[in-house]
Amino acid sequence: MPSLTRRAALATAAAVPAVLATRAPAAPPPSAPAIAAPPPIPPGRPLFGATLWRMPNGLRVAYVGTRGAPVVAHYLFYGVGSGDDPAGRSGLAHFLEHLMFKGSAHVADGEFSRRVAREGGQDNAFTSRDVTAYHQTVEATRLKLVAMMEADRLRAPLFPADGVEPERAVILEERRQRTDSNPRARFREAYEAAMWGAQHWRGRPIIGWADEIRAITRQDMLDFHQRWYTPGNAVLVVNGAVEEDALRRVVEDEYGGIEGREVTPRRRAAPSDAPLQSRLVRNDAGVREAQMLRSWIAPSLTWGRNDADREHAIPLEVLAHLLGGGPGSRLHKALVQSGLAVGAGAGYDSDDLGASSFGLYVTPRGDTAPAKLEAEVEDQICRLLDQGVTEEEVARSKRQLTAGALMSLDGLGAAPRLLGGALAIGLPADAVEQWPARIRAVTPEAVMAAARSVFTHPSMTGWLLPEGVRAP
Amino acid sequence: MSDTIPSGFTLPVQVVEAGGVTAWLAEDHAVPVVSLSFSVPGGASLDPEGREGAAALAAALLTEGAGDLTANAFQEAVRDAAISFSFSSDRDEFSGGFRCLTEALPEAVRLARLALSAPRMDPTDMERVRARAIAGARQALENPRGQAGRAFWATALPGPFGRPPGGTAESLASLPGELLKGVPGRQFHRAGLLVAASGAITAEQLRETLATLFGDWPAGDPAAVPVPPAFAARGVQVVRMESPQSSAVFGQPGLAVDDPDWEAAGVVMRVLAGGGFSSRLMNAVRVERGLAYGIGAGAEPVAGRSVIIGSVATENARMGETLSVLRAEWARMAASGPTDAEREEAIAYLTGSQPLSFTSTRQVAGILLALRRNKRPLDWLANRPARLAALSREKLAEVAARVLRPDELAVTVAGKPEGV
Repeated sequence: MPSLTRRAALATAAAVPAVLATRAPAAPPPSAPAIAAPPPIPPGRPLFGATLWRMPNGLRVAYVGTRGAPVVAHYLFYGVGSGDDPAGRSGLAHFLEHLMFKGSAHVADGEFSRRVAREGGQDNAFTSRDVTAYHQTVEATRLKLVAMMEADRLRAPLFPADGVEPERAVILEERRQRTDSNPRARFREAYEAAMWGAQHWRGRPIIGWADEIRAITRQDMLDFHQRWYTPGNAVLVVNGAVEEDALRRVVEDEYGGIEGREVTPRRRAAPSDAPLQSRLVRNDAGVREAQMLRSWIAPSLTWGRNDADREHAIPLEVLAHLLGGGPGSRLHKALVQSGLAVGAGAGYDSDDLGASSFGLYVTPRGDTAPAKLEAEVEDQICRLLDQGVTEEEVARSKRQLTAGALMSLDGLGAAPRLLGGALAIGLPADAVEQWPARIRAVTPEAVMAAARSVFTHPSMTGWLLPEGVRAP
Repeated sequence: MSDTIPSGFTLPVQVVEAGGVTAWLAEDHAVPVVSLSFSVPGGASLDPEGREGAAALAAALLTEGAGDLTANAFQEAVRDAAISFSFSSDRDEFSGGFRCLTEALPEAVRLARLALSAPRMDPTDMERVRARAIAGARQALENPRGQAGRAFWATALPGPFGRPPGGTAESLASLPGELLKGVPGRQFHRAGLLVAASGAITAEQLRETLATLFGDWPAGDPAAVPVPPAFAARGVQVVRMESPQSSAVFGQPGLAVDDPDWEAAGVVMRVLAGGGFSSRLMNAVRVERGLAYGIGAGAEPVAGRSVIIGSVATENARMGETLSVLRAEWARMAASGPTDAEREEAIAYLTGSQPLSFTSTRQVAGILLALRRNKRPLDWLANRPARLAALSREKLAEVAARVLRPDELAVTVAGKPEGV
């Protein structure tokens, strides 16, 4: 899931919370009465063994008591992201995230980060399509301080009027840095907009279209905060050197007094049956190496064309590995080891809110003709649908996907990111805790059913090419 | 200073020796994961002229087939056991290591030994990896940040250390296979080898690992690493390219890593240009003027010396203003150093954040290796809070005046900047 962090990569690298080095555990279907019960899966040992509870005001809490250094990670997730930006105001969720650092009732403008640093901690935030999260990593005795400040800006952020314009300028520079000055990012943005629609929740960039960033008002932010930033739409995840009792007291003291409000249901409009365009070709003078993308609308753990469709989400993860998960995968053998491409792979996220996409990407090698690559990709898809997958291939993918799951215990960041990300979009914690067991339960038949649920629908193909190179 | 400042947390470090190789070990069985890191002096600085990227390409080839395992078989074994290998060549050293589950340690050691002692470098794999590296080198120049960084280093340190460690499309295409095959022999010597490990591994297991991985390396001196030249960049250099935003890389000479003022300079740089929102540059450039998403700078060691290097990106029309603000802040810090409040906050952060560096095995192994690289004693971290607390404002002002050279701050800008 793409996300934007608030800070440039210039930040000191000394103790940034670990990013997940294993593949991101995804999630199982949420229980819904309309869905036939999935075949029982023998539960495995939970990955993090998180303890969960809910406060009377609706705030959900997940606690993982990792021992080691006297450090805690404190993450507050909100079930809102760029996918919830109002029409014509793309970038609002992200803009608001920036403004959350500009003070609240008891914390002055700029004081949040300054205070955390003064206490030896680190803080940041990120916005994805599905969630907005604020996080701090601090020496364990500072937990109460960060909880107090985080609760304060949940309750009563200032959004100072004179802070809006400088921050808008910062965000426009962030957009120029991430997207406008990078031909690959420009293309990716145009590709998503062409596939889903420039105003569709999935087709808009997380950071927003530049003219819409310019249109966002302070009132938009106040309204958005009022609507989404409420305890019942938030998930607090704490991982580290703190006892459960002590954490419960801190949470009660700092978050317990915040009044709960009704939670707005999230709407994720279904996509059209097929990508809005079947092809996007862009020649860009700034590009030196061509790139091909091909993608399909795909089910996720939370969305399908029909209820049964969601059952394909976990098998699609296995399919993505089998087809394009690095060396040894089918695309790697057919395109990279054959000398046609320098890179090829597949990407799929099961843990999206709403429709997901299944994507393939290829970077051609030297002067391989684009038409040849495109034909080879098509051939791989046809062959898969015609001839199926072997037991051995599936076993290999399941083994490699899950072999490193326990590595996510190494560092404090993975548990909050995975648990918070799942819980905040309505998935149960088991989506994370039992992810390895669920992957291991996937059968070759399930992989093929999943493949058919995606590849029998129309796809979109995109080419980013240097000036003068012709697309097929 | 207030009594709320935490003490300098550190893990107990053991010194483990086997077969003429010593390693620092922070043993911790809290999670079933092991990280091991090593480095040897050399790296890209040993690449012959016109053959930039040789060591880096060879590093990439170490895990593309070794011993009787083809590239495919090797990669399958790595991924079946979820081992993450990292071999790379930086400006001044060749480094490597792995992270794995404790249960996969024997397999990680077996594969690492094969990679280090018997990489196959089969012609088809070599060409495949070379093609990937060439594409990567070309992609790196598609955006202004890549262009500015390339030009800055070339100007700042003319010669072996100023070249792109990963090579250029042209140099990579020209690398003879025999040169690549000779890289392990040129780089791998026990003299200068530094090793650190962390996580769920015992001293005895580490001893065996050291003997297995490095026991066969020749003891002798590594090839002579060149001496970095004096910092040579001056003024403003512009790389013209089409872009809505310009990217600037700026810098000046830094202290030697063993300079007695090294830590004091670190405090000064934290106040001027460190991570987060507390720095003067972040405040002046981002918070007050909305000129950029971020700005920061710090010392980057190069073969025992260092370069102070930083970067910022802003729309073309505002680059002139951004550089003016940058120079003014640089000069202000050089003239009077940090205030008392800034001094206290910076030291509180540097001291208090120490435990945060010990939350994953990879971080810990990396920190231990960095301490060894910089020739720090075992108790360096334990005593660091006391050393930092002893730095007076006057001392920091003196060091700021000694280190910072506003008149020599060199800038490379890529894009279509105005007013520079």
